[in-house]
Amino acid sequence: MTASTLVPPDAAGARPAESRRQRRKREELEERDAVIPVELYGLKRGTVTVLTTCCVLFAIFTLVPIAWIIFNSTKTQANIFGTFGFWFARPFEFFHNFRMLFENVDDDGTYIDWFGNTALYAVLGGVGATALSAFAGYGFARFEFRGSKVLFYIIIGSLLVPIGAITLPLYLVYSKAHLINSIWGMILPSLVAPVGVYLMRTYIRLSVPRELVDAARIDGASEIRIFFRVALPLMVPGLMTVLLLSVVGVWNNYFLPLIIFSNNNLFPLTVGMGLWSQHATTSGDQNLYPLIVMGGLVTIAPLIILFLILQRYWRGGLLLGSIAN
Amino acid sequence: MSAPAPTRPARDESRSRPRHSAWVRRRDRAGLAFVSPFLVAFGLFMIVPLGYAIYDSLFTSRIIGGTVFSGLSNYTQILTSGMFWSGVIRVVIFGAIQIPVMLAIAFFFATAFDLGVAKFGKAFRTIFFIPFAVPVVVSALMWGFLFEPSYGPFVHLASVFGFHNVDFLSNTLMLPSIITIAIWEWTGYNSIILYTALKSVPRDIVEAAILDDTPLWKIIVKVKLPLVRPAIVLLIFLNTIGALQLFVEPLILNNYSAGVITLNWTPVLYIYNTSINDAQYNLGAAMAVVLGLVIVAISITSLLFRRSKGEFS
Repeated sequence: MTASTLVPPDAAGARPAESRRQRRKREELEERDAVIPVELYGLKRGTVTVLTTCCVLFAIFTLVPIAWIIFNSTKTQANIFGTFGFWFARPFEFFHNFRMLFENVDDDGTYIDWFGNTALYAVLGGVGATALSAFAGYGFARFEFRGSKVLFYIIIGSLLVPIGAITLPLYLVYSKAHLINSIWGMILPSLVAPVGVYLMRTYIRLSVPRELVDAARIDGASEIRIFFRVALPLMVPGLMTVLLLSVVGVWNNYFLPLIIFSNNNLFPLTVGMGLWSQHATTSGDQNLYPLIVMGGLVTIAPLIILFLILQRYWRGGLLLGSIAN
Repeated sequence: MSAPAPTRPARDESRSRPRHSAWVRRRDRAGLAFVSPFLVAFGLFMIVPLGYAIYDSLFTSRIIGGTVFSGLSNYTQILTSGMFWSGVIRVVIFGAIQIPVMLAIAFFFATAFDLGVAKFGKAFRTIFFIPFAVPVVVSALMWGFLFEPSYGPFVHLASVFGFHNVDFLSNTLMLPSIITIAIWEWTGYNSIILYTALKSVPRDIVEAAILDDTPLWKIIVKVKLPLVRPAIVLLIFLNTIGALQLFVEPLILNNYSAGVITLNWTPVLYIYNTSINDAQYNLGAAMAVVLGLVIVAISITSLLFRRSKGEFS
């Protein structure tokens, strides 16, 4: 059960001469083979229609907010309030709203700066977290040193610690270490990803054979060389998943930046947008709503595109497929 | 098998054993070296702050006399504080409704995709996963617009169905509205994980059941469900930890409907308001520790429950 849960999404992708289209075709065929034909279950054809309808309904539920934000990114504030929410209205203000993202509004800050900050934090934090998780996961998966089990359980146990219990004291420590309003105050804590360690350990156990590592040792390769030359290439799909999860984690983080940044120019998107929504109601500024809508659209677009491109990594189900052990 | 095992007769074994263990010890030091970069970060940004929070929670800052050691007095204050526990009760109710409903929907769709009984399964799986890519702040903002009482489209929709002047962000409907948002955010993610777990159920077991003329519902409930129970237990566990820390959605929705979200609406919100807005760090730290203990207690209960069911033996 375990092994097939965690089959590396492109275990077969190692075949070098396979084009993208060929791979997609092969995956489609494999998927079709894996499914038992519906008729065998003794289902009526109507059941398929009913279930597909359920899927359509839930898909509509899923897409309603996305559709709303797309339609309303093209509107003026008056039209956001006054016209039907699920269609366009005149005047078509999409480009004007988009341009506003590059301007400093009400001295709250400039959206595009927040976007850059978020990207910086997400890339540095995500890549760093993935690297640390990969090293640690390998250490836990392929070595048994004194205390390794206890350490591992402590790391997993830290999942139970509420964000407040970590973030508030960080703020207090930061105020002494001059890390308030410093990008490092945001990036360094993002490097700690216990779930990433857990996933990498499980993944390495299943996809980096112990025999292969031992064989390299007999050949006299150093441990660090074994990691980079033997293990790392086999870990790539797992690394991609952990990278995806940690980038999303930093991209979504709200509590930490909310507390440690008071300088608006350092805000990530989440805090900046939160500030806008607060000011939109309290200060009565009439032009913040189109900005919030447009900002929301521009915030989610890159991540949705990223997910569509990297589909096979999360679809492979590495995520928590490891639960079986 | 491929370890450098001595193949000489017994005479050599005594000599090779210490050498072997030295080799292993050197190797294991390398293991520690691999783990150490993470451990340093983990210590600095997880253990140290946690220790600092516990230390801090034992002090009280007074206007006169500065910060003084006060033992467990912050804890007695919290344990007897209705403000704190009403928030805890609210997030427990939130989790008790949101998690089962979400997992039921997620399991329903995961099963449908796994059996291949719904058309366009691949496309639907992709669509359902989209909310996972939306930051919680942004989803709260979007749903805030949809639910907004004066211009929000859902108010109009409700009046079309004969419900006039429904305020989705009022005192009574705020929690159900947030539950809806959370279901929107997390169902797809949970569904993908369950789908993966279902996919790993060996095909021959299912085929054998079909040959025995087992009805479909029985295959799902008696064959598949028990095999993916570990996945479900883990999801319950992770979702519970998340639900008890509900924070962003109420904080953002407060901007659309002032006054409904009180300072202590959820425990994390209360911790935030106490420490940051009121600058009572010590009390906030103690609350964070208590909340952590509540989460640990609930997790251990679920773990014991799992043990008693004979899993993870």
